[in-house]
Amino acid sequence: MSTSIHVRKRDAEEARPKPRLPLAFSVSKGADWKNEDSFHRSSKGVYALSDGASVSFDSASWSRILVRRYARKPEFTTKWLNAAIAEFRKLYDRDNLTWVQQAAFDKGSFASLLGVHVVDGGGQIQVLSIGDSLAALCDGDRIAATFPFVAASEFSRSPQLLCTNPMQNAFLDKADVDHDLTADWSFAGLEQPALLCMTDALGHWFLSQRDRGRSPIGTLRKLKTAKAFARFVDQERAAGRMKRDDTTLLALW
Amino acid sequence: MAYQAEISRDNPTFFLFVVDQSGSMEDLTETGRSKANFVADVLNKTIYTLVASCSKADGVRNYFDVGVLAYGGSEITTGFGGVLADRIVHPINAISEHTLRVEERQKKMDDGAGGVVSLKTKFPIWFDPKNNGGTPMRAALTKTVETVADWCKIHAASYPPTILHVTDGQSTDGAPEDMANGLREIATKDGPALLFNLHVTADGGRGTVFPTSEAELSDDYSRMLFRMSSPLPSHLAKYAGDKGYSIVDGSRGFIFNGDPQCIVDFFEIGTRPKLVADR
Repeated sequence: MSTSIHVRKRDAEEARPKPRLPLAFSVSKGADWKNEDSFHRSSKGVYALSDGASVSFDSASWSRILVRRYARKPEFTTKWLNAAIAEFRKLYDRDNLTWVQQAAFDKGSFASLLGVHVVDGGGQIQVLSIGDSLAALCDGDRIAATFPFVAASEFSRSPQLLCTNPMQNAFLDKADVDHDLTADWSFAGLEQPALLCMTDALGHWFLSQRDRGRSPIGTLRKLKTAKAFARFVDQERAAGRMKRDDTTLLALW
Repeated sequence: MAYQAEISRDNPTFFLFVVDQSGSMEDLTETGRSKANFVADVLNKTIYTLVASCSKADGVRNYFDVGVLAYGGSEITTGFGGVLADRIVHPINAISEHTLRVEERQKKMDDGAGGVVSLKTKFPIWFDPKNNGGTPMRAALTKTVETVADWCKIHAASYPPTILHVTDGQSTDGAPEDMANGLREIATKDGPALLFNLHVTADGGRGTVFPTSEAELSDDYSRMLFRMSSPLPSHLAKYAGDKGYSIVDGSRGFIFNGDPQCIVDFFEIGTRPKLVADR
């Protein structure tokens, strides 16, 4: 992890269009399940989404810390990550955990992080993605770009996630943040631009629908309320088209 | 395709450790510890890791059933002690609740700032080293067949059982190969059971790790253990490759005379099905 992500300040800051808040919907994998996805939307055009891995100690708290910190400070550096880990570790008194809790705490909690910084009303959009949460740049019903994956099949690989155990983040040492983990997009030149951020179950559905020649964007655009989103997810799960998992959508239409 | 089933609480998988506790396990390894002592330690660590991988802050999820079958002298018995001694197989949450004792050890961990810290860590013990008498391997594998078949009957949709067999000597109650062949034919809908063998001998001889052919082995006994072993399925082959082992198509889950790290890796690789459920 070699460099940080900062959006350059411009002189004519007051001339920027006011950032809008994206619609945000999230449902858990089932009625009796805790939702371990987290998201955060700031009025400064910074949006973050994180999918906590259920098979780990306390991924819900870890994903909350990641999105809150990204929304407050949209960068990704070693220092930033270490501060997030330190905040997580303060939640627990390791020495007083049972051996089972201590073993799981030491193993670590895992979560993805998808951060988006929209500047100048979309003139500049910086996307950071670690793990398998998906961002999509849309123009009407056309998918202009997706990141970090471009094919539904890529979701079948084990994703590399951010972990509260620093040893599990060694993969970042080999990564060039600017090239491997980020994408630079813009609404410029798009007639009907939109930006979508999704956790993996929805991301996989999104790219699979495209591959089948259907318009996933049109379907998602119709979802205006949390109730409509929950109904849509239920239907797609029942039809076997969407994996049963915590499912979150941020949509800047 | 086999070995694709998601492991979940509704469809757990099963790890069965079959451990030779014959008298010769008392022999010392090159580190000065007995083979029995070393195997008990690795087994404790393996189950500790399995428990950790099923645990959240609010409890342990039953993704795994775990069994230990120990054999030595005239005994084929559960390897568990205390409350768990009534059966060979237990769900992982029962195992997490019933240790023989919890010791305090030091564990080295990354401090998040480029350094390493040594932390006091609670370490559970389920097994103490034991060794006694002959090596009734055939009877042990007969019991293994019964145990695995019973489990598969009630978990037909699950990722199939994985059996990790650790031995240091020749069977003293007859040839075990036909039992091993029968064991590898027991299956769930997701594929046949996997049998991996670890031969820890103090007799010398070049170590052989995940071989593809009998010709790589120097004696009849290790060649038989090779034939008794399942080929590594692709996801385990990949994991072994990631750990630096030379893996090709047909590499079998068998280690002969591995060094201590090989033995640790044998357990780690063998207990590495992908936990994709509930992600």
